[in-house]
Amino acid sequence: MHKIYTFLKYTFITLWTVFIVAPFLWAISTSFKDFQSVNSKVTYIPWLDFEPTLEGWRVLVKSPARGGVDIVEPYFNSIFVTCTASLISIILGTLAAYALSRFTFKAGFVRNNDITFFFISQRIMPPIVLSIPFFIFLSTIGLLDSLLGLVVVYIVLLMPIAVWIMVDFFNRVPKELDETALIDGCNPYQAFYKVVLPNSIPGLIVAGMFCIIFGWIDFFFAFILTFTEVQLLPVKVVALNSSITPWWSLSASALISVAPLIIVAFVVERYLSKGNLSGALK
Amino acid sequence: MAKIDLSNISHTYNPSDSNPTYALNPFSMTWENGKRYAILGPSGCGKTTMLNIVSGLVKPSKGKILFDEKDVTNLITEERNIAQVFQFPVIYNTMTVYDNLAFPLKCRDFSKEKIEERVKSVSDTLRLSSFLNLPARKLTADQKQLISLGRGLVREDVAGVLMDEPLTVIDPDLKFRLRRNLKEINEQYKTTLVYVTHDQNEAMTFADNIIVMDQGEIVQVGLPKDLFERPKTTFVGYFIGSPAMNIFESEVSSEYSVKINNVEIKTNSNLSKIKDKNVKLGIRSEFINVTEKEGQNTIKASLTRVEDFGNFKLLTANMGDFVIKSKVDRELPISNGDINLYIPPEKCCVYDKEKLI
Repeated sequence: MHKIYTFLKYTFITLWTVFIVAPFLWAISTSFKDFQSVNSKVTYIPWLDFEPTLEGWRVLVKSPARGGVDIVEPYFNSIFVTCTASLISIILGTLAAYALSRFTFKAGFVRNNDITFFFISQRIMPPIVLSIPFFIFLSTIGLLDSLLGLVVVYIVLLMPIAVWIMVDFFNRVPKELDETALIDGCNPYQAFYKVVLPNSIPGLIVAGMFCIIFGWIDFFFAFILTFTEVQLLPVKVVALNSSITPWWSLSASALISVAPLIIVAFVVERYLSKGNLSGALK
Repeated sequence: MAKIDLSNISHTYNPSDSNPTYALNPFSMTWENGKRYAILGPSGCGKTTMLNIVSGLVKPSKGKILFDEKDVTNLITEERNIAQVFQFPVIYNTMTVYDNLAFPLKCRDFSKEKIEERVKSVSDTLRLSSFLNLPARKLTADQKQLISLGRGLVREDVAGVLMDEPLTVIDPDLKFRLRRNLKEINEQYKTTLVYVTHDQNEAMTFADNIIVMDQGEIVQVGLPKDLFERPKTTFVGYFIGSPAMNIFESEVSSEYSVKINNVEIKTNSNLSKIKDKNVKLGIRSEFINVTEKEGQNTIKASLTRVEDFGNFKLLTANMGDFVIKSKVDRELPISNGDINLYIPPEKCCVYDKEKLI
């Protein structure tokens, strides 16, 4: 019985791993192929099946004038927009979440939970509902097709995630921790940033990770709110496609757009497994 | 180190209701500088609320709090210079044990030398010296609670140290030693210690004065001996002592005596002013003796159970509908069947409407 269980377990894990890894292997091998190797018969192994080339990668950094597509600028745009918006969302979201977790708000029938739900409900709504209002809003304040405009929109999208995760996290930090800090001589602000915040690093990391992921992969708003001045990576990657699909450069760009998230995941995983995040409470 | 005055304090958690329920009914009390107090009462009787009011975590609905005659009612916790230890360990996980203990001093800008000296002294008392450089989160639950306690004791100049059942998570052996340590600290530094507990033994062994609370009301303040021998209400009689006080429904029969089940019991209380004839007679099981002879204040009861506790025997006997418990010497030979129990008049407490006469 035990053996069957182990067998099934490993079979499942193997299948799952193949399922996850295969597309990556496919993308990696495709990114080193040329037109000939992609469109003729199926090939797998470099040097034996096909002659690898760096053309797919080179195109990405060449300027359009020299026949390239230059994704370097969109790449850094994406990094800038994602990081700035995530950082601001985390700061504002954490403050909002702390207030929602520790103080009691009353306005008519509205209570703390209603306010928290209001934040989360921003994510329940399909994003397309917001497209026209955002478009009009950004064009009114003159931020259409600009990095700053994108940052503003992304803060709106990311802050609910931060609030949601942090409210839940702060609710699990015992109130006595704040009270002890007050008794030990902190004022309420010091109690927050000297005691509660350092204890909340696990929550901050999780919230930060979610913000970065959701910010990084957003295509919809990056697509409708920018035209020519500013482009973000997802839009640029999609724009690579033309009448002849350049599978090699598409694969290469897909790989480098996933890379930052993989790095983030690895760093967080290391940090988690080292036990730095576990057992923070009680 | 301060005298703490609570004047006409009351508190409700729902002040906006038309008919608010009070967690603490109005009371006044003074905690003398350098004394040890225990607040004793069942769960939900308002003990923690009272502590939180003193430390400033809760603002009382009504009344004033004075530290050494200075009104602190409107001061926030940080400005009161008070220490409070909670029931469950609260530690700063991201800091080492040393930093945890030093935190209250750092927050108040003590000099580095002073901090070092105080942390050393407190960690020696609590036997935490060998852990000082470890991250606080790596310690066991009872060591963590020692850190909480240490943070409460590290400041010498506090107005008082309030402890909310601080030894719940600590094992019995260490508990005993810590209680003695707390007493020593109190004697050495003259710190006012207030200790909340629901364990009467803890309260009795620790405090100079015990405050018994029930349902938001302070029912008795007194020395352990008073609480034991002259409980002011039947509640205190039930709550203090193991087993609880024997309490019998009875009737006033003359100026100094009551009748239980038609047996006349003489007491030392003057009952002439009582209007209602139905009163209650309370007597500790420790004071009821087994005798050979019948006579005054002796009741005949049939023995139903004998429990040997090692250091004493607990007899349970029935007289009609009444159940009487008596604690006797374990060497005393006990025969089955009917026994005679002598109730000494000087130990009788008579309660009219649950209050001692």
